[in-house]
Amino acid sequence: MRYPKRLGRLSAAMLLATAVAACGGGTEASAPKAPATIPELTKDPLTLSFIWFEWPPAQALEAFANAEYTKDRPNVTIKVNTVPNANWHDAIFTQFAAHKTDFDIPILDSQHIGEAVTNGNIVDITDFVKQNIDVNAYNPYLLAAYGQFPQAETGKRDENASLYGLPLLGDTWTMIYRKDLIGDKPPQTWDEMIAAAAKCQADNPGVSGLAFHQANGSDAAAVTYNTVNGVYGGNLWDPKTRKIEGVLNDAAGQEAMDVLVNKMKPLTATGSGNWFIDEVNAAVAQGKACIAFNWIAASGGLLDPKQSTLGTTREEILGKLGFATLPSQKTNLVPLGGMGMHVSAYSSEANQAEALNFMKWFQQADIQKKWAAAGGVPSRTDALESPEFLNAGPFNKVYADSVPRMRDMWNVPEYARLVDIENTNVNAALNGAETPKDALNDIAKEQQAVLDSSGSKGGGGL
Amino acid sequence: MSDPVPLTTDHPGQVASATPPAPGWSRRLSDRWLTVAFISPALLLLLAMSVFPLLWALYLSFTDYSATRGGSAHFVWFENYTAILTSAQVHQRALTTLIYVVGAVTLQTVLGFTIAYLISRRTHGRGLLTTLFLIPMMLSPVVVGLFWRFMLDAQFGVINSMLGSLGLGQVEWLTRQQTALISLILVDTWQWTPFIMLIALAGLTAVPKYLYEAASIDRASEWFRFRTITLPLVWPLLLIAVLFRAIEAFRLFELVYILTSGGPGVSTETLSFHVYKVAFLGFNTGTASAYGILMVLIVIVLTQLYLRYLNKLKED
Amino acid sequence: MAVSINEAVSTDPARDRTPPARRFGGRGLSVLEIAVLTVLAAVMLFPVLWMIETSIKENRDVYAIPAKFFDFQVTLDHFKDVFFSSGGGRSSLSVSFLNSVVVAGVSTVLATVLGVPAAWAYSRFAVKAKKDQLFFILSTRFMPPVVVVIPIFLMYRQLGLIDTKLGLILIYTAFNVPFTIWMMKGFVDEVPAEYEDAAMLDGYTRLQAFRRFTLPLLLPGIAATAVFALIFSWNEFVFAIFLTSSDSVRTAPPAIAGLIGGTTVDWGLVAAASVVFALPVLVFAYLVRKHLIAGVTLGAVRR
Repeated sequence: MRYPKRLGRLSAAMLLATAVAACGGGTEASAPKAPATIPELTKDPLTLSFIWFEWPPAQALEAFANAEYTKDRPNVTIKVNTVPNANWHDAIFTQFAAHKTDFDIPILDSQHIGEAVTNGNIVDITDFVKQNIDVNAYNPYLLAAYGQFPQAETGKRDENASLYGLPLLGDTWTMIYRKDLIGDKPPQTWDEMIAAAAKCQADNPGVSGLAFHQANGSDAAAVTYNTVNGVYGGNLWDPKTRKIEGVLNDAAGQEAMDVLVNKMKPLTATGSGNWFIDEVNAAVAQGKACIAFNWIAASGGLLDPKQSTLGTTREEILGKLGFATLPSQKTNLVPLGGMGMHVSAYSSEANQAEALNFMKWFQQADIQKKWAAAGGVPSRTDALESPEFLNAGPFNKVYADSVPRMRDMWNVPEYARLVDIENTNVNAALNGAETPKDALNDIAKEQQAVLDSSGSKGGGGL
Repeated sequence: MSDPVPLTTDHPGQVASATPPAPGWSRRLSDRWLTVAFISPALLLLLAMSVFPLLWALYLSFTDYSATRGGSAHFVWFENYTAILTSAQVHQRALTTLIYVVGAVTLQTVLGFTIAYLISRRTHGRGLLTTLFLIPMMLSPVVVGLFWRFMLDAQFGVINSMLGSLGLGQVEWLTRQQTALISLILVDTWQWTPFIMLIALAGLTAVPKYLYEAASIDRASEWFRFRTITLPLVWPLLLIAVLFRAIEAFRLFELVYILTSGGPGVSTETLSFHVYKVAFLGFNTGTASAYGILMVLIVIVLTQLYLRYLNKLKED
Repeated sequence: MAVSINEAVSTDPARDRTPPARRFGGRGLSVLEIAVLTVLAAVMLFPVLWMIETSIKENRDVYAIPAKFFDFQVTLDHFKDVFFSSGGGRSSLSVSFLNSVVVAGVSTVLATVLGVPAAWAYSRFAVKAKKDQLFFILSTRFMPPVVVVIPIFLMYRQLGLIDTKLGLILIYTAFNVPFTIWMMKGFVDEVPAEYEDAAMLDGYTRLQAFRRFTLPLLLPGIAATAVFALIFSWNEFVFAIFLTSSDSVRTAPPAIAGLIGGTTVDWGLVAAASVVFALPVLVFAYLVRKHLIAGVTLGAVRR
């Protein structure tokens, strides 16, 4: 590319200016602290903006908050902006990188907290929580999973660690099974489940035994492997020594990969290797799967007769579909899903105050019950045990029963890359592009390299 | 960015006033002033929006800067470049991109030229046919990607449904290593064959009639006429079309993002898609910038070589 | 390269240059050719027809196996959903369509206002290193958008242009200006400079001569060029998805992409949105069909 000399000189000058800006503009990344008490709230009209991905709970939240929160705060409007699921992480962190956000409350995947905290993108609300939230009303691991950094040990909370968020929507996998095809009683162990699926597939031509997430986008295939890994007694890593190599691909991990690829995959439909939430739902609704696994929060549409061929009423569909907690094998672990709400470090003071007030309001016992009735999944134990929640959907009892069994992934700043490595390799194994053993070893090797390379020079991120 | 010339203040269509004012300045001076005034706004915009970002990327490509982690950028000089050029991951993506570009452009050229040739031999309905054939090219890549994903779905897609009616088995269009790349090539071919067709058609209809007439006096065979008259005249135009397609195919991102998101595994990850992952998953801005600069260099160098080759061809 | 699409798509039998196909292969060859052409046309058009069909099907029938080609219930619900949200009021999709209209419209006007005078100047006057400048202008179009988006993002961060319509408008303008210059330069070259010289002999200044004599002759070319700039901005996805996020700014391509990846995919809605979204482009493309070749090759191939 050639252009006149004068232009070249001009560009050089601009480049120099940029270099200065880039070097001088760097800010020390540490999360700003929220005040312990909520500052005085404005009486002027204010829009409190959330960002989430496009799915029914996002609309439910906007409707619920505008109906209920405005009873306390009539001058406030709630707006839940949504982005495509595939773009969820990128959209939020691109704005964080810009140091300017058009949202006040980002709804982050639980594993995104580490990246956001390390970069100083979300506010430290430890003191605020101490003053305003009754922490004893929650299962401690839920508080830890959606707010704590550094990450807690599975099932526990570190009381001394800082908190950066509060639960918004709890979630885990449910097993969806065809009562009319495999019987009313759900399989109790992973082996039983596979056997039931195999029998069902053999007995019912045109219906496949299993349907689960296999796609290489988002965290689809990774959660699937992690779930099987947990059930078969494996570990994703050793957080203390930051070791993945040799931990993930130990005997238990290899067995889990073998079960997934050689026992479960053959029971899925042809070409299901790029399925995620919506394709699994479609397969169930079209009556094409005996047993399926999906996120609870994404299962509501299954009971909609308009989208289903299983029945013309909700009751008729429920006659055929059962929802159960995941079968156990060597352990009874289930994947922790759902998201917490956080406060953007780049929001205006008035909006940050309003955001804190919203969070305090949202975590009250009666509001949590109303959120449950509106289709949300609360986190307070009293709300989880309330009839409002348990009667709102057939899968809500599954969630309540699953809470003590949850395990999350690594919550580290490198999460996005770790999950991408796992996704692509598990997806490759599921679709025959790599052997299960190679895939698992590749995951361990590449993930370890990512963890180790933080701070090394040149070519990072390849 | 203000409009430098009040182009729209009057209606230039009518030459209403017949009383021209006397010229104020000398013509040369006014011409030079006009040139600067007319060209510089456009060039300034390009400098600000294209050159400046590129130079910034060039600067970042020598650093370990990350857009999210903040902090200052440290110079690592050519380490990003050597890491990229020696990375097996990158080599794999380069190979995928090469197969994709060569496969798609070849298929499009053959098909596009065939269609153009057949259309050019029709007497009736040419306009209608051409217009219909052009529709895929006008659609947004997002729409094309989404819809083909729907049609190629192994379970519910219409393509497998039709294959099933013909008694053929289900094809895993998007979830097998080879078929996924082939599907990508097919969809790109579907969208861009019209482009080649359009240009080939222009060349074909421009072949002067007297050449054919002379050939028919010689009782030359159809194939001979095609080979000695049609092809040589259309060839240069086709080569330009191929260049444009190759550049576009090399930059392809949307289709991969929507159709396969690089899968299964990483088998349909092109260079564009890989650089996106580097840039936005780990926010390794320095590495991604170096990656991007290398891609731009490849396009520019190859384009120059190709154009030089074309010019040589023309001279011979 | 004495060609224009005008001739290419001409249906005028009087100007038919086709060598008679009957001489050697006879009628059989001709029938075969028509058959091949029909098959190819069917293959190329089937996806479009299937999209239109899907947009008027009930969701139940969309997933039917084997696929239903004719015997399905026709519904216009999907088109209603494109424009209205379920609770009444405007849907976010229709808002994104409006955003697309604003962003594509304004960037096209800007590119035209900046590009046409520059094209005229490049065509008429001796400019230093003209060839280099023109190639440089063209080469800015070669950059992969995914690559450019990173520095643009960093620059916009400093300027506060992230997630604004202005930001999208500026980058689309910058991508359309090279195209406008190249395509318009060809059109200007076709208008004899003598017209302006004659006008200047009559006492007009160069600028007046341009405005009163050349510009009116360029209008069809300007219209064609603008339509292509409009189509680019209308269909663009990469910048849109990385530089914007809020509903009030987002253009239609990312909004349509956002229709999948939730919990259920409403393919009927995707199809209806795609049809509505594609219509303006198809209409515009039809209007400038005479300039299609110049339009899609940045004016590199033309009369």
